Amino acid sequence: MRFIIALWLARAVQLLLKILGKKATYFAGKVAITLCPDFLGRIGKPDKIIGVTGTNGKTTVNNLLTDALERLGVSVISNRYGSNINAGIATALISGSTLTGKPKKELAVLELDERSARLIYPYIKPDYLIITNLFRDSMRRNAHPEYISGLLTKHIPKDTKLIINADDLLAVSTAPENDRVYFGIEKLDGEPPERNSIVCDIQICPKCDAMLVYDFRRYNHIGRAHCPDCDFASPRPGYMVSRIDFENKKAKITEGENLYDYKLSSTLIYNVYNIIAVIATLRQLGYEHEVIARTLEDVHIVQSRFRQDVIKGKTLSAIMAKGLNAVACSRSFDYVGTEPGKKAVILMLDDVFDEKHSSENIAWLYDADFEFLNTPDIVQIITVGKRSPDSLLRLLIAGVEKEKITAVSSEAEAVDAVDLQSCDKIYILYELYRYDRAVMTRDRISRRIEAETEEAGQ
Amino acid sequence: MKLEILYPETGNLFGDSSNVKYLRLCLPEAEVIQTGLKDEPSFIKDDIDFIYMGPMTEKNQERAIKKLAVYTDELAEQIDKGTHFLFTGNSFEILGKYIKTDEGELPALGILDMYSERRMSKRHNSLFLGEFKDMKITAFNSRFSHTYPSAELTGFAKVLRGVGLNESCPYEGICRNNFIGTYLLGPILILNPHFTVHLLRSLGSDCVPAFWEEALAAYEKRLAEFQDRKVSLD
Repeated sequence: MRFIIALWLARAVQLLLKILGKKATYFAGKVAITLCPDFLGRIGKPDKIIGVTGTNGKTTVNNLLTDALERLGVSVISNRYGSNINAGIATALISGSTLTGKPKKELAVLELDERSARLIYPYIKPDYLIITNLFRDSMRRNAHPEYISGLLTKHIPKDTKLIINADDLLAVSTAPENDRVYFGIEKLDGEPPERNSIVCDIQICPKCDAMLVYDFRRYNHIGRAHCPDCDFASPRPGYMVSRIDFENKKAKITEGENLYDYKLSSTLIYNVYNIIAVIATLRQLGYEHEVIARTLEDVHIVQSRFRQDVIKGKTLSAIMAKGLNAVACSRSFDYVGTEPGKKAVILMLDDVFDEKHSSENIAWLYDADFEFLNTPDIVQIITVGKRSPDSLLRLLIAGVEKEKITAVSSEAEAVDAVDLQSCDKIYILYELYRYDRAVMTRDRISRRIEAETEEAGQ
Repeated sequence: MKLEILYPETGNLFGDSSNVKYLRLCLPEAEVIQTGLKDEPSFIKDDIDFIYMGPMTEKNQERAIKKLAVYTDELAEQIDKGTHFLFTGNSFEILGKYIKTDEGELPALGILDMYSERRMSKRHNSLFLGEFKDMKITAFNSRFSHTYPSAELTGFAKVLRGVGLNESCPYEGICRNNFIGTYLLGPILILNPHFTVHLLRSLGSDCVPAFWEEALAAYEKRLAEFQDRKVSLD
C-alpha cells in the first residue's frame, strides 16, 4: 500500500512539474523514495537492464546506446534526461511504468552514478553493466578512484555481466569475480608510446607491488601495462578498435579473427571509447556488426558537449571540460593543443556552486594537464571567473608565457579580450554547468567576428 | 641541496605532486631524489635536507607503513636531528601509533604519540584557514580520518576557520623539530607563498619563490575569501 501511495504521489508530482514547465527528472523519484525507502526495489522493471557507470563518458554512452536501441525497434526506458542517482533512476522507472507500477518497456538503459553504488544495486540488478573508466573526479564527492572501484566491487550484484574498458586497469580490477567482456582501442599507427599526463592512478601492481611497465600509455592510466614480476597484465579486449581513419571518420573493429568496418560520429579518442563500449554492448545483446554499424550511422553525440561552427573563415568551438575533473579537462586541453592552426583558448572552468556559496578547492588544477596548452600555436589563453588568478598561476607553472595569458572576471570581458587578428580558431572550454554562458560567449564572439569582418570589408 | 620524495608513485593524490614541481622551479640547483616503494630511502645512507610525502589511497598507506616499518629508527633519528619534513594529507598518519579502521587496528610506525581513526563511510571535506608563526595558511581538507594526538605533541597551525586534526582540536597538523605533518593537501606551497618563503629560508635558500607576484595575488584573493564569514568553508 505504501508503495502504491508513493507511486501515485510521485506521478502527481511529475504531472504538476510538467504543467509548471519544470524538469521532472529527479524530484518525483525523491518523493517516492522518501515515502517508500525500498521504492526502487518494488517498482516493476523491464526484463533487461543495462547499466552504465564510470567516471567519464557515462552520459554519452547512455545516450548513444538508448538512441541505437530505439532505432533497432526496442522500447527503452532511460534516465537520459535526468539524474543518475537513486531518485533520478526512480523517476525514469516511474515514467516507464503503468499506474500500478508494472513496466511498459522491454529494456532499461540506466546511467548509474558510481558513487551511489550502495543505494542503487540492492534494488537495481543490471544484466549488463558498462564500466567506461575510473578516474580522479571531484575529491569532495569521489575521494579517489581506488575508493570508487572498492565501492563498485562491494555493491555490484554478482550475477551482473560487466562490459569493461580493458585499457583502464582500475576498471579491470573492479568486481574481479563477475563475468565480463572487454573493449579497448589498440595502439594506433603513429600514436606516441606515452602521453605525459601528470596523473597515473595505477602504477603499482595490485598483486605484488612491483612498478607496472606500460607497453603504451595513451593518457593518464589508459593504455596497456604488465607487471614484470607476476602475471598481472591488461587483458586482451574481445571488442577492439584496431584502426582509425581520422580523415574519413572510419574505424576497423576486431572481434576474434574478424575485422568490421564502422563509421565514427566522432574521432575524439575518448568518444571512440564510448562508441566501442556501445558496440560491445550491442554485440552482447546479439546484434550483428553490420546491423550495429548501420544503426550507429544515424545516431550522434549530443551537441551540448561539443559544437563547432565556422564563421567568416574562423572556427569557433565550444567544448565541455567538466570542472573539478582533471582528466576530462586534460582531454580537452590535449585536443585543443594538438589541433592545427593559430588558436585562442577561453577557459571557463570555475565550479558554479562554489562560486556562489564558497571558495573552490582548486587542487584539481594541478592534476589537470595545463601543460598541453603550452604549445607555440596557442597564441592566447583567456581565463575567466573568480578563480582566474589561480588559473593564471597554474598556466605559468605549466610554462605558458605570461604575455599569452589574459585573466578576466567575466565572460563579457573575455569576448572583448580575444585577439581575432592573431588566431584562426577559437576554443571555449566550459564547465558542465556553464553551458548557457558558453553559448552566450560563443554567440557574442560570433557577432564580433561578423561585425569586424564586415567593417574590414567596407 | 638534496630533496627526497618518498613514494611519489602512490603519494600523489589531489594535486600534491605540484609541491615538488614548484620546489624544483624555486630551487633549480637542488637534487631531487624520487624514492619508490621498492627502493631503500636515501636518508638511510645520505644527508638529505628535506623529505616529502604526499597523500595516498588507504591501500597505499598500508603499503607505505610496511615499507617504512623497516626504517622506523632511522626515520625517527632524522626527525630528532632536525631534518626538514613535509608530510601532507593522510601520509603523516603513518608516524602515529596505529590507525583505527573499519576492519580493526592497523599498527603504524609509532614515532609520534598519536593515533588516527578512519571511517570510510564518513568523508570530511572543508576549506581551512589557520595561523603558523604569524602567517595565515589557506588550504583544503579532504579525508576519511581524524587524528588524536597526545598532549605532548605540538600542532602545526592554529585553527582560525575549518577543522584541525579532529573536530575538536584547536590546531591542525603536527610539528616536531623541523617535521611538519599536516592533513592539508593540494598545492599547499603554491597556495601559501609566505609559508614557502619560510620553508626555503629554513632550508638555507634566499631565493624568491617562482612567480612570486602571481602567487601572492592568488593567495591574497583566497585569504580574503576565507576570512569572509559569509563564505562557507564547509
